[in-house]
Amino acid sequence: MGKIHVLPEHVANKIAAGEVVERPASVVKELLENSLDAGSTRIRIQVEAGGKKLIQVTDNGCGMVRDDALLAFERHATSKIKDAEDLLSVATLGFRGEALPSIGSVSRLRLETRAPDEPSGTIVEINGGKIFKVEEAGLPAGTSITIRDLFFNIPARKKFLKAESTELSHIASLVTHYALAHPDKHFELHSATNAMLVAPPVAGYSERVYQVFGKETLDQMIPVAAVQPLERIGLPQPPPWRRSDPSGGNQQEPGEVLDPAPFGEMRVHGFVSKPEIQKLNRNSIYVFVNGRLIRDRLVQHALTEAYRNILPPTVYPVVLLFLELPSGEVDVNVHPSKTEVRFRQGTVMHDFVRDSVRAALMKARPVPQFAVEINARPTATPSLTPGARAGNVAASAAWRDLYAPAEATGFSLQAPVPPPVNENFQFGEAFRVEGNAALSLARAPQLIPTDGCTPPVPDEPEAPSDLAPSLASLKPLGQIRESFILAVNHEGLWIVDQHVAHERVLFEKILKQRAALKVESQRLLMPLLVELTPAQQAVFSEISDELAQNGFEAEPFGSRSIAVKIAPAGVDATQVEHMLHELLDQLSREEQSINLEKVRARIAASIACHAAIKVNMPLEQNKMEWLLAELAKTDCPMSCPHGRPVVLRYSLKDIQKAFKRI
Amino acid sequence: MPVEAIASATGTTTMEITVSKAELLRELTATQGVVERKTTIPILSNYLFEAGGDKLSLTATDLDLSLRTSCNAKVKKEGACTIPARKLHDYVKLLPDADITIKLLENHWVSIRCGRSNTKMVGMARSNFPSLPAFPTAGVVKIPGQVLRSMIAKTGFAIASEESRYTLNGGLMVLKPESITMVATDGHRLSHVERPGEKFEGVSGEMKTLIPKKCMDELKSLLDSTDAEVIEFAKDESTLFFRIGQRLLTSRQLTGQFPNFEAVLPKDNNKSITLHGDELSQAISRVAQFADERSRAVRLKLEKGELKLSASSTETGESEDSLEIDYNGDALTIGFNAQYILDFLKAVGAGDVKLELKDAQSAGQLRPAEGEDYKYRYIVMPMRI
Ligand SMILES: Nc1ncnc2c1ncn2[C@@H]1O[C@H](COP(=O)(O)OP(=O)(O)O)[C@@H](O)[C@H]1O
Ligand SMILES: [Mg+2]
Repeated sequence: MGKIHVLPEHVANKIAAGEVVERPASVVKELLENSLDAGSTRIRIQVEAGGKKLIQVTDNGCGMVRDDALLAFERHATSKIKDAEDLLSVATLGFRGEALPSIGSVSRLRLETRAPDEPSGTIVEINGGKIFKVEEAGLPAGTSITIRDLFFNIPARKKFLKAESTELSHIASLVTHYALAHPDKHFELHSATNAMLVAPPVAGYSERVYQVFGKETLDQMIPVAAVQPLERIGLPQPPPWRRSDPSGGNQQEPGEVLDPAPFGEMRVHGFVSKPEIQKLNRNSIYVFVNGRLIRDRLVQHALTEAYRNILPPTVYPVVLLFLELPSGEVDVNVHPSKTEVRFRQGTVMHDFVRDSVRAALMKARPVPQFAVEINARPTATPSLTPGARAGNVAASAAWRDLYAPAEATGFSLQAPVPPPVNENFQFGEAFRVEGNAALSLARAPQLIPTDGCTPPVPDEPEAPSDLAPSLASLKPLGQIRESFILAVNHEGLWIVDQHVAHERVLFEKILKQRAALKVESQRLLMPLLVELTPAQQAVFSEISDELAQNGFEAEPFGSRSIAVKIAPAGVDATQVEHMLHELLDQLSREEQSINLEKVRARIAASIACHAAIKVNMPLEQNKMEWLLAELAKTDCPMSCPHGRPVVLRYSLKDIQKAFKRI
Repeated sequence: MPVEAIASATGTTTMEITVSKAELLRELTATQGVVERKTTIPILSNYLFEAGGDKLSLTATDLDLSLRTSCNAKVKKEGACTIPARKLHDYVKLLPDADITIKLLENHWVSIRCGRSNTKMVGMARSNFPSLPAFPTAGVVKIPGQVLRSMIAKTGFAIASEESRYTLNGGLMVLKPESITMVATDGHRLSHVERPGEKFEGVSGEMKTLIPKKCMDELKSLLDSTDAEVIEFAKDESTLFFRIGQRLLTSRQLTGQFPNFEAVLPKDNNKSITLHGDELSQAISRVAQFADERSRAVRLKLEKGELKLSASSTETGESEDSLEIDYNGDALTIGFNAQYILDFLKAVGAGDVKLELKDAQSAGQLRPAEGEDYKYRYIVMPMRI
């Protein structure tokens, strides 16, 4: 007897519409989640051409009987939930019943499946949404789904797929993450004949980290584990779909209070990196909620808080964190891709994560100890709580009052939040900072446009179109916080970000030297072994020739590492590993397909960034003069290779206006 | 009375002492290097003052590094307080040469009186000041101060400015019963100095210690300004201790593995030339003006009877210099970062140096031509230019 039934229309409609299949990696994600939901212990993924040509996921899970195998392709057909009430406590990874029909409609799909206690299995073939073959066959227990020619019937979509290596690296990192979340299961990922990941079951998470990333990574991680009982359960406010439903109370829906008896508990475990590890973006932060990989601002904020004063505000740790809460405590039905969640007790969860991670970090860094315990900081700002973001201001204000933490009492050793650098530049209403018209100097990598050297469009029409002559006449006065050069000329006051300015100078020089084949490089005292993730490895093999042309000499060392012997001149040996990881990560996330010119620019930008003068570095007068003169000579002095502004100008007119002289 | 004992005897909320300005200033100046300047933790920009017996003990810490010292004082009331470090130093500097009375008032206010000058500053609760580890009672090794000072000067400059898995932001000190060795590297070059013929009691086998760069710098400046001939060194699992006279420097230990440096010490560098250190330094400085600003690459061309040095860059032009040498072997061209060589020439001081090479891909070695009391060698990796 089949297990699948079609969801009632009203439930289906409550599920936010959206596209499930964006790229090969999203297909892999859906199939993988289905296999996990099916209780499989062994999952094998085979792809070809970055998944564009072929994706095959084979599992040893519960399989499907013939009826189910057909019903699975009906829209909103699922075995995982029955009604809207179940949406409040989804315990499986899938629940929308959308994946298989969506995938089937944009590819050539073949399903082979057999439930273990059935004598024979079923084969279903679907071409662009039309079933054209259903037959009985002798098959192994479990399910194997093969997707060929993804988007063959949507050329427009197909055109937007990225280079094979890019798609492959997305798939590789996705599979890696799921493998990390399920150490008790066997995972395999093969690209054509190349085994990218083979991870047999291991005893626990740390063994899995070791298996997937190697010893170096494991050594740099601190384990975290904590439990906290919940004091209540459920929602401080109605779930969003109920608020937005004007038709009012539906009789079938449950009351405000769910079964109040056992509130359950919250658990967190996983690993966080030691303070020595500093990443320039959040891409190494992996958070799983009940086995589901998610991206969540609240959790990210909790982590930032935990690392406050341990890591500088603009760098990020490596985090692999598994949060487990009763399924009624998380709303996973936020987006079809299911990577967003809403916590029903966001504040409690936030503080729990922050305190658990902080405690683990403190324990790992004990000397010398403060005589007084560091007081906990007040909790997440309201703007970070999803309720407030949804725009329901009144509701969220009430909620905030209700659950605001008690005022911290007594003297706190906790430093005041270090002011972001941009505070110094907020001149207020009357003052206008122009030039390349960026008001914020705070380094916020997520805000930065990723494409090369496009200067932001100036807000002010009077902004000088050609900066070079102005820059050439600048006279440096000094530095602000040993990071920003203050300079003047007849036009007004200028502020130059010294790191970014030097980065720009070096970037152009490196590109020129590369073009002229005049790259200089420095041999390392001993080869530097760099471990690569499968995704990084995919990029590395694609760009290794170009890396060599840029002064790297590296060769494969074992299956997951490379040995770097020579690196571009001007880059500290300490920076080489970081630089390579960053570069490979960046290229693996690249949205457009990577052509040679772009790779060259990326490499040059990366070298420039690591060879450039840092912030917080005192500069002598002649060094500042030199830097400004060099900047004036560049082709594009207004923005750094990553698109950040280099100079700000505070014009004479603005100064006069501000002093009410005009 | 040892300073550690004073620390534990205090904890009350009173304190009143009188010290001589000269003595206080001397110790304030000595500890300035440890006072955290850019701290986000306010207590770290304060001194901890502790009065007991006939001594005032001063402590400054930035959590990684702490310095505790003391001076004579007339102690009227024993006790402890904290005082903003920089302000106090700047103020005491300007006081006349006379006795200063320091008294703890209510709410962490501290009054400082000297002659007709009277100032009040506000500190923080003493209990906020981090507690420091105590000097171990066993395993103390005595090291001649000037030997240590000279070894730090010969290696400290080669330490990586940042820490990574591959290089440590510190140097390695190896004590053996009859020698002391110090090694530092930044992954491009390595400086190695050994002093045989010393006797270290209490050391058996090899005692290896990683010393953070900040600690080495501070140690050097303390050694620059001490009369103490011998310093005391000890460590426990997490902390290093150096006692220099009445001053005690403690440092968090570096964790990590110092690279296996023995493997990179060249053994068959058969092309050897002797150069006058000053001449080499001047020639390199001249041509390096025309090297690429980022890479600082200079080319060394070894020929019969002559060493040619050159550098060029598209922006600045090119430059060549040459030195007469006693050399008969095969010609060899090799690139180096000019700065790396200049660093060594500066550390080695006057006199002749030996440059020993193998080929364009292998490490070069520099060392003083005349053996002194130190065995000093410097390994530089070549550049590809
Ligand atoms: N690998 C599998 N093993 C067993 N059953 C599967 C597998 N993949 C899909 N199914 C069945 O097909 C149904 C539809 O899958 P899908 O479209 O992904 O929707 P959902 O996962 O949201 O339920 C699932 O509910 C499940 O019953
Ligand atoms: Mg599914």
